[in-house]
Amino acid sequence: MLVAWRYRPRKSLVQWFDPRAWVIFYVCFLFSTLAFWDLRFLLPFLAIALLWLFTSGLTWREVRRPFLFIGAFVFFFAFLTFLTGRGGMEVYETEHLIRRFEAPFTLLGWRPVLEVTVERAFFAVSQFVRVFSIAVMTILIPYSLNPALYGVTFKGLGLPDKIAYAMDLTMRFIPTFARDFQLTMDAQRARGYELEKISGGLIEQVRKLGPLIVPVTIHAIIGSEDIIDAMDLRAFGVAPRTWLEELHYQRRDYVLIALGVLILVVSVGLGLSGLGNFWVPEALIRWATGG
Amino acid sequence: MSIKPLVLENVSFRYRDRQGAAIHNITFSAEPGELLLLAGASGCGKTTLIRAINGLIPRSYKGELSGKILVHGQETTGLPLARISQMVGTVLQDPERQILGTKVINEVAFGLENMGLPRTEIIRRAEEALAYLKILHLRDRETFHLSGGEKQKVALAGVLAMKPSILLLDEPLASLDPASAQEALEMIRRLADEGLTILMVEHRVEDVLRIHPNRIMYMSEGEIRYSGDAQGLADAVDFREVKLPARQIARRAAHEPAPERITLLPGMQDSAGMPLVRFENVSFGYESEREVLHGINLEINKGDVIAVLGPNGAGKTTFVKHAIGLLKPKAGRVLVNGKDTRQASVAEIAGTLGYVFQSPSHMLFAPTVREELAFGPKNLKHPPAQIEQDVKRALEIVNLRERENDPPLSLSFGQQKRVSIAAILAMRSKILVMDEPTAGQDYRNYMNFMDAILQMPGFEAVLFITHDVDLAVIYANRVILVSDGTVRADGRPQDVLRDYELLHACRVVPTSLLDLNLELLPKTGQFLRAEALGTVL
Repeated sequence: MLVAWRYRPRKSLVQWFDPRAWVIFYVCFLFSTLAFWDLRFLLPFLAIALLWLFTSGLTWREVRRPFLFIGAFVFFFAFLTFLTGRGGMEVYETEHLIRRFEAPFTLLGWRPVLEVTVERAFFAVSQFVRVFSIAVMTILIPYSLNPALYGVTFKGLGLPDKIAYAMDLTMRFIPTFARDFQLTMDAQRARGYELEKISGGLIEQVRKLGPLIVPVTIHAIIGSEDIIDAMDLRAFGVAPRTWLEELHYQRRDYVLIALGVLILVVSVGLGLSGLGNFWVPEALIRWATGG
Repeated sequence: MSIKPLVLENVSFRYRDRQGAAIHNITFSAEPGELLLLAGASGCGKTTLIRAINGLIPRSYKGELSGKILVHGQETTGLPLARISQMVGTVLQDPERQILGTKVINEVAFGLENMGLPRTEIIRRAEEALAYLKILHLRDRETFHLSGGEKQKVALAGVLAMKPSILLLDEPLASLDPASAQEALEMIRRLADEGLTILMVEHRVEDVLRIHPNRIMYMSEGEIRYSGDAQGLADAVDFREVKLPARQIARRAAHEPAPERITLLPGMQDSAGMPLVRFENVSFGYESEREVLHGINLEINKGDVIAVLGPNGAGKTTFVKHAIGLLKPKAGRVLVNGKDTRQASVAEIAGTLGYVFQSPSHMLFAPTVREELAFGPKNLKHPPAQIEQDVKRALEIVNLRERENDPPLSLSFGQQKRVSIAAILAMRSKILVMDEPTAGQDYRNYMNFMDAILQMPGFEAVLFITHDVDLAVIYANRVILVSDGTVRADGRPQDVLRDYELLHACRVVPTSLLDLNLELLPKTGQFLRAEALGTVL
C-alpha cells in the first residue's frame, strides 16, 4: 500500500495558496536560482526560501531528519568541490592563493595537496547557498501539499488524466519505498545481517547489499503490478475522468503566479545580459594577494 | 427463462510461463443473491478462477484461456476490463494491495471518477456505499492509518459504489482479527440477501459456514471436486485439508486411529532457571505519536509455548519487535538472556531469538531456497557442516525439500511464507518468535509445520502472534491477550480462554473447537485438537 507523506493541514503561508499556484511558483523559483552563481543574487533566493520555511508552521522536530540529511549532503558536496577545486573551473579562470597545505605523506608516490584559494572558498559558499535554497523549497513540498490533491494538481497544470494520476502515484511511491526499505532492513537484521560490517572490494560490497536491494526491488515491482491490477479492476482509463476534488484559483494565487513568472523573467534576463555570474569580493582578493 | 448473472462453461486456463493448466473444465453458474463459498488448498486454482471471471486473465495474466464465461448472458472475452469491472466487483485478499486513495472518500470514489460520472453523483454514491457498510464516519480519514478491518471495509465500499451485480472476494478474512472477520461475514451475508451474487474464496471454511453459504464448492488440482451444501461437504472432503467445525471433525476422526500426541518442545519440560526474555515496565511510542505499549511486564521462560492474541493494531508486533531489539523501549527495559537489548545489536540477539516476520516478501533475496536458508546461519558464523544439516532439517519441516534449488521468489505466497519460517529455523535460535505464521497457508500445511516446529528439539521457548484462536487452543501452553498496548490476561489457555467476556473485549471470537474443548475439559483435563476429541465425545 502506498504510504502518504507527513502532510498535515496547517495555517501557513504555503498552504494558503492553491497547490497549482505554489507548484508554478516553485518551478519558477527553481529555474531562476539556477540562472545565478553570484552570491549577491543568490542570497535573495535563500531569503525567499527561508520565508516560506519559517511561515510554514513546521516545527524543527518534524523536519529535523530531512534537513540534517539533505543539509549534510549539500554541505558534503560543497566541501568536496572546495577540496578538489573541480566544478568551479567553468565559472572562474584565475585563482588567488590564500594558503597551500601539503600532506606530510605520499600515496603511491602522489602527495595530496590542498590549495585554499579565494575562488574555491567562495565558490563552495555560493554553491551551498544555491543548492540549499532549492532544497529548502523542495523539502516543503511533501509537508505542505495535500496528498489527496496531487492528482488534481497535476491535472490542473494541464497534464492528461493518465499522466496526472501517474505523477500522483510517483509522489507517493517515495515514502512507500522508504518504508519497504526499513522493513527489509529489519527482517535481515533479524537474520544476523549487519550492514555496518560489510567489507571487501567495491563489487563485493555491492554483492553483499543484495539482501537489501533484491527484496526492496522485487517488492516495488510486485507493488506496482498490484496497483495496475487494482486500477484496471476499477475501470481506470475508460473515459475522461471526473476528479472528485476541485481546485479554484483565488486572486492571491494569480498574484503568486505573476510574482513567480516575474522573478523568472528578470532572472533569465539578467543571466542573458551577463549579470549574475560567479563573483568574488575584490577586498578578499586584495587581502589574499597581500595588496 | 431469466438470464443468470454468472455462467462458466468448460473454462480452462494455463499460465504462459507454467506447465499444466491452473484450472480445467470449470463449469458452474450462479443465481442472483446466491452466496457461493469456494474452498480448497493453496495452489488449487481458486485465485486463478477469480482472475478469469474478473477479466485480469487473460488481460493482465497472459496464457491460454478456453471455454466460455458469461456475465449476464454476455461473453466476457471480447469485453474491455473496464466494462467487466462495472458488472463484476473484486475485493482482493489483502486490502493493502488494493487501496489507492489517500483519503477514504477518494478511495471509494476512485472507480466512479474513472467512469466519468458527474461529481455530485460520485459523492452521493460513495457516501451511500460508506453508509451501507456503516463506515461513513471514516469518510475523511487517511486510508493509511486505518485498521485492517477498516481497510477491508473501505476496499469493499470502493467496489460496491460501482454497483456491480457480482462480487468476487478472494480470502477476505485473511488479515482480519476474529471480530472483524465476523463483522465482514455478516456484511457479506447481507449483500447476498439483497440480491448480489457473491463468490467467496476462503480458507476459513468453518467461519464462513456460520453465515450459511447457499452452496459450497471444493476445488483441488484445478478442478471442482464438490459442489453442494455444507452437510455434503463434510462427507466429501478430507477433514485434514479443509477446516470443518470441530464437532464434525471429532465425529469423523472417531472412526480413525487417534492422532499421535505431540510433545511440545521436547526436553524442555522444566521451566526452572533464569527467564529467557524479560520485559520490565516497557512503554513505547513511535516518534511523537501516541504511546503504543504501556508498562508491559512479563517473562518468557523455558518451556513456554505462547500464543499472543488480540485485535489488529493492539501492539502485538510492536511488542515482539522489542524482544529482538529492533525497537528499544522509551521507558523500562527488555532483557534477553539477562542482557539489556539496548546494549546488544540485533544480530547478536538473533543468535538467541529467531524472529519470523509477517511478510516473507520483505526478506527473500537468494537465488535458491537453500542459499536463502543458509544466509542467517552464515551471518551467525555457524560451521558449514552444521549449516548444511540445519538447512536440510528446516526444509523437511516446512515440506519444501523438492524445491531447494528453486528461486524463492518464484514460489507461491504460501511456499514463500514457509521458506521465511525455515530460514529462521535453520539459525537454531533458542527462542522462536513468529508473527502470523499461518496467514495465507492452507489448513493441512500449517498444521503440519506447526506440529513439526513444536516437536523440534533445540527450542527453549516459542512465541507466536495469531488471529487463529484454534492455534492457541491446540499448541499453546500459555496465552497472552493484548489489547490497546496492555496485557489483559496471561496464563494457561484453559484459564484465559474461558473468559468469553474478556475475549469479546479483545475482539477474539470463540471457535467451535474452543467451545467443544471447554465443554469436554472436565473429562480431558486439557485442551486437545479436534481429532483427538473424537474418542471423548
